[in-house]
Amino acid sequence: MANESLRQIAIYGKGGIGKSTTTQNLTAGLTELGKHVMVVGCDPKADSTRLLLGGLAQKTVLDTLRDEGEDVELDSILKEGFGGTRCVESGGPEPGVGCAGRGIITSIGLLERLGAYTDDLDYVFYDVLGDVVCGGFAMPIREGKAKEIYIVASGEMMSLYAANNISKGIARYAKKGGVRLGGIICNSRNVDREIELLRAFAKELGTQLIHFVPRDNIVQHAEINKKTVIEYKPDAHQADEYRQLAQSIEDNENFVIPTPMTQERLEEILLEYGLMDNVEDDYRI
Amino acid sequence: MPKTKKDKCKQTNSINQVRYGCALGALHSVTAIPGAMPITHCGPGCVDKQYMSLAFYNGYQGGGYAGGAVTPSSNLQEKDVVFGGAKHLDQLIAASLKIMEADLFVVLNGCIPEIVGDDIGAVVARYQKKGVPIVSAETGGFKGNNFTGHEIVTEAIIEQYVDKFAPDKTTKKKGLINVWAELPFQNTFWRGDLAELKRILEGAGWQVNILFGYGSAGVKEWLTIPNAEFNLVVGPWLGLKTAKLLEKKYNQPYLHLPILPIGAKQVGDFLRSIAAFAKENEVKTEAFIKREEKEYYYYLEYFTDFYAEYWWGLPASYAVASDATYNLALNKFLVNQLGLIPAKQIITDNTPEKYREAIREEYKHLADDVAAEVEFIEDGYLVTQTIKQGEYGHKPPIIFGTTWERDITKELNGHIVEVSYPVSYDVVINKTYIGYRGALTLLEKIFTTAISKSA
Repeated sequence: MANESLRQIAIYGKGGIGKSTTTQNLTAGLTELGKHVMVVGCDPKADSTRLLLGGLAQKTVLDTLRDEGEDVELDSILKEGFGGTRCVESGGPEPGVGCAGRGIITSIGLLERLGAYTDDLDYVFYDVLGDVVCGGFAMPIREGKAKEIYIVASGEMMSLYAANNISKGIARYAKKGGVRLGGIICNSRNVDREIELLRAFAKELGTQLIHFVPRDNIVQHAEINKKTVIEYKPDAHQADEYRQLAQSIEDNENFVIPTPMTQERLEEILLEYGLMDNVEDDYRI
Repeated sequence: MPKTKKDKCKQTNSINQVRYGCALGALHSVTAIPGAMPITHCGPGCVDKQYMSLAFYNGYQGGGYAGGAVTPSSNLQEKDVVFGGAKHLDQLIAASLKIMEADLFVVLNGCIPEIVGDDIGAVVARYQKKGVPIVSAETGGFKGNNFTGHEIVTEAIIEQYVDKFAPDKTTKKKGLINVWAELPFQNTFWRGDLAELKRILEGAGWQVNILFGYGSAGVKEWLTIPNAEFNLVVGPWLGLKTAKLLEKKYNQPYLHLPILPIGAKQVGDFLRSIAAFAKENEVKTEAFIKREEKEYYYYLEYFTDFYAEYWWGLPASYAVASDATYNLALNKFLVNQLGLIPAKQIITDNTPEKYREAIREEYKHLADDVAAEVEFIEDGYLVTQTIKQGEYGHKPPIIFGTTWERDITKELNGHIVEVSYPVSYDVVINKTYIGYRGALTLLEKIFTTAISKSA
């Protein structure tokens, strides 16, 4: 089983907020710090490791399990990506059938049995699909797995609703085990006063805004080229942003049980930071 | 004793000592129809558990042609959960059709496929389109108990099979009735009881679709359901939903008689109510009652010597812990025909809330001068506590219950007759406790139990 210094981290956040992009870029940053990292994609879409691997080249754990049965080799599901990252995609059933949540449980169980959690690993990242719809998607934060959670959010209202809801789930699991919230990562959408809003939001949850990742088109360029920014343009400003995020996570010691807010309080904060200002008077399209 | 925490229905948050199966247990309603075969889409152990509890350690009724070890099951594994089990079910149906001979197949799903969203209706529909007599019933355990499952299965057969295959759905046949009474296998004596029910109804001039058991003509009998003049629901609540469905679907009226008749008085009332409702068979009914009562009282006349002389050794008061049908039926018989005193009445079948008030009313006039309170309890601990609190006078009571009530009966130094699931200390073949003949058997059972206690 895994060594004691291994940090297992789950990344949650609203669908489409940029969890996978952020996770892959920051893990690229961690590898530059000499860290050994494994990324486990926990999304049936299986697109959590595309930038590290340079494309969707990999067969998922569940596809392998379905086609070949229990008798699978670790090599067939674990591929090495940028900077020596080890990449695994849990995968899932076809949309509309079966139980993707159970799929996550099955595939993490299989990874453990196959010995994927080696002693030399410093980090395991679980990139979990956006809206946690059932217990299966909470698998990575169950007892004995990820102890640290980061929520990716932006200044957009629905992303904060989602982040607050996810915090409720974390608070529930935190009472039973050691899971803690390490902070909010802002993946900026260039919303007005975004950084202040995110700071206030993080404070209300009892946590920190661990890094503000500005919006930069270079991320999209890198994605089109199936690369992380650090690989695509190592000297870009955005690459440094991800390096800073990686360093902040490496240095982080601020782990809390979040204090999710009521719907009313959340809306108060949104009003306070101007998100809803002038909505009535603003007819721009 | 610590105070027990109860919810608004006066139940604890747990059920100790099972008194019914899960919705999937209604696979036994399928095996009870001659010529019908269940196909189950559920996890390993589900069918076995329902079979062993409902059909084995309950009178040792057995599996027969389509039950027990015969029932096909998809035996779902983790793969089926993750990727969905529809394909697996498809294979199971195809294989079953190849090697199992039946007039009707009923696919029932359990909790697992229902939770992960397997569309069994869509799988079955493909076979239905080819003309295969097959229906699907969503009986995930969380839907409720086997009583609920029975209603789901019955409705599925009517909607997906009878409605499609019945040669004539409009003609009504005078004197033909559909009978909805006990729950096969759950009611341990259902085979004998339904046979006696059919016998007395036929004796009174009716043609009877009994629908389950040996007396049923099986699947082809089900196809004549739409032709019945009316539906007869016997018992406090089970079957009402089906009767209402048929009323709407085939414009059939229904008669609801809450009391499953035991003994001459109840059977007489029962048969006369039916004749009065339909305004038919009055003469045949009276002639049959006369003939049967002559025989019934012939035996009772000889029995009265024992009943009068042995007074010192017989129980005077009783408690009943059983499903609603047997509970009310026994109360009526024991009060009216034996003059026993009701002490505690507990209905354990999780009767749907909407029927409970009407059932309570029935107990308020068990006889002209006898009323009783009835309680709805499912948890064995509470059942035991409730029986313990009964006022039984100076003589040990007789308890009509399940195998679970053996311990409290011993504690009360009483007698026990097992009448409700689970009945694990009776081997039951075709015994009946209802009608004319069953009443005599019940008398034998009650008093043999009472006097043999000291043997």
